Amino acid sequence: MKRIKHNHGEGVRIDYYAYASHIKHWNATFKVFFSLVIMVICIAFNNPYVSTVVIVAMAYITIVKGQLPLSEYLRVLAIPTTFILLSVVAIIFDFSKEPMGLYHFPVGLGYFYTSKAMLKTGLYLTLKVFAAISALQMMTLSTPFSEIISVMRKAHVPKLVIELMNMIYRYIFILLEVSTKMKNAADSRLGNCDFKTSCSTFGSIGANLLVISMRKANAYYDAMESRCYDGDFLFYEEDRAVDKNLIMKAALFIVILIIIGCYTRL
Amino acid sequence: MKKTILKVENLHYAYWNGKVALNDVSVDIREGEKIAVMGSNGSGKSTFFLNINGVFAPERGKITYRETLVTKKNLKELRKNIGIVFQDADNQIVASTVRAEVGFGPMNLKLPMQEVHERVEESLAYMNITDFKDRPPHYLSGGEKKRVSIASILAMRPEMIIFDEPTAALDPLNATMLEDVLAKLGNVGKTILLSTHDVDLAYRWAERVLVFSAGEIIADGTPLDIFRDQQILEKANLKKPMMLEVYEMLVKKKLLEDSAEYPKTTQAFNKLLDDHVVFLGDLA
Repeated sequence: MKRIKHNHGEGVRIDYYAYASHIKHWNATFKVFFSLVIMVICIAFNNPYVSTVVIVAMAYITIVKGQLPLSEYLRVLAIPTTFILLSVVAIIFDFSKEPMGLYHFPVGLGYFYTSKAMLKTGLYLTLKVFAAISALQMMTLSTPFSEIISVMRKAHVPKLVIELMNMIYRYIFILLEVSTKMKNAADSRLGNCDFKTSCSTFGSIGANLLVISMRKANAYYDAMESRCYDGDFLFYEEDRAVDKNLIMKAALFIVILIIIGCYTRL
Repeated sequence: MKKTILKVENLHYAYWNGKVALNDVSVDIREGEKIAVMGSNGSGKSTFFLNINGVFAPERGKITYRETLVTKKNLKELRKNIGIVFQDADNQIVASTVRAEVGFGPMNLKLPMQEVHERVEESLAYMNITDFKDRPPHYLSGGEKKRVSIASILAMRPEMIIFDEPTAALDPLNATMLEDVLAKLGNVGKTILLSTHDVDLAYRWAERVLVFSAGEIIADGTPLDIFRDQQILEKANLKKPMMLEVYEMLVKKKLLEDSAEYPKTTQAFNKLLDDHVVFLGDLA
């Protein structure tokens, strides 16, 4: 039987995995900085061995430690893959009037060609990008967004940005829910029966969403004021203990990466 | 006589479009009272709540909290001591985790972190939601959201708690949970204002009933006085509580002696029937 289409976007899915992750209890600051350091190392070394080790290690952390099913991990990883592959194609192929390079094939007036060096660049680049992405993915698939915001707050990101992020994160789900409900209500009354009707239904839902957002904004403001809100979003958060063992392991991993990077310099 | 917490005098409030929402409302609320606020949709209940919480500023009229007249300067004191649990929990939850939401009020009170921590843990335990303190609100069910919104008010330790139609959209299990919470809060002497359309709930829970109609309080008295007054019920479009109606019918048909006991729950009714078994036996 065909699975019923999930009508939330991939973003909602990632959000859910972060809450379900078994390494959620790791200190958020640790996870964010670990993944950023790994990413910087990948980019700085530009070394296929380092990149491969990172890809494998990050997948291990997310899938084995975090208990995310492999299929779901690949699905999330597939989102940026299309973009990466398309840009790599543009890098490894060039165009010339004469047949040249290692491989070439004619197109119209000239030839698409590629050389060993170009293929190598392409491969290294792909590995590097995937390594950097999997490092970030490790973070996003194991750290709830509210905790990422709290790390940013500790890193002294401007208050305005932090408050906006907090609010957007909360309300995006409310907006999604309201719009899904309206869409279902429209569907149940044949609001999407043909293209023309769909267009006008889409317009009405959009207009209604705006009105509802305004009304909800008022209601929220009342609820906040009644709890003594006076202009500053103050949220209570609890720090998770930093596991010393974990930091040692992370440091060891980074040292190993640097050693690999130095010994296999290409 | 218990001390008056809140004294409302000649409150008048109109919306921006000129629609009068509250007209000359005066009421005294005393310590430890359990008040049900009734009235049809748009009769001014919610506007009244937001006024006595200092969120809306009344056009005319005075609000006195504990012998201090409420002005712009001491509004915060009013908001701190009177908490509102809003009707729609989704319209109240602003934070992105349960813990942050419950801590929102205490944080705004600028309490020391240790105190915030204690209050949050206490409220979470009180509402039995400690297990999902790290969860974001969009992964909670309706009943759980309600509990979170109540916990977030309890964490501020207000003297008086206002529940705006708390039983709306709750399943029977969660409605029972809510009544347990109401009973628990009542036992420790918290003053509670509760608006509801459920006459049965108002009849069995409240000690005092306020009836709103078209922006005015048309009746203020004990549940018995209010619900036996046909005129008020008609004016406010209220129904008679089922227990009261059944009791009156039985008395009218002379199946029960008019002992003026007025049972409010089925258990009390059952006991009453047991006590009057002879009277019922006469029928046979």
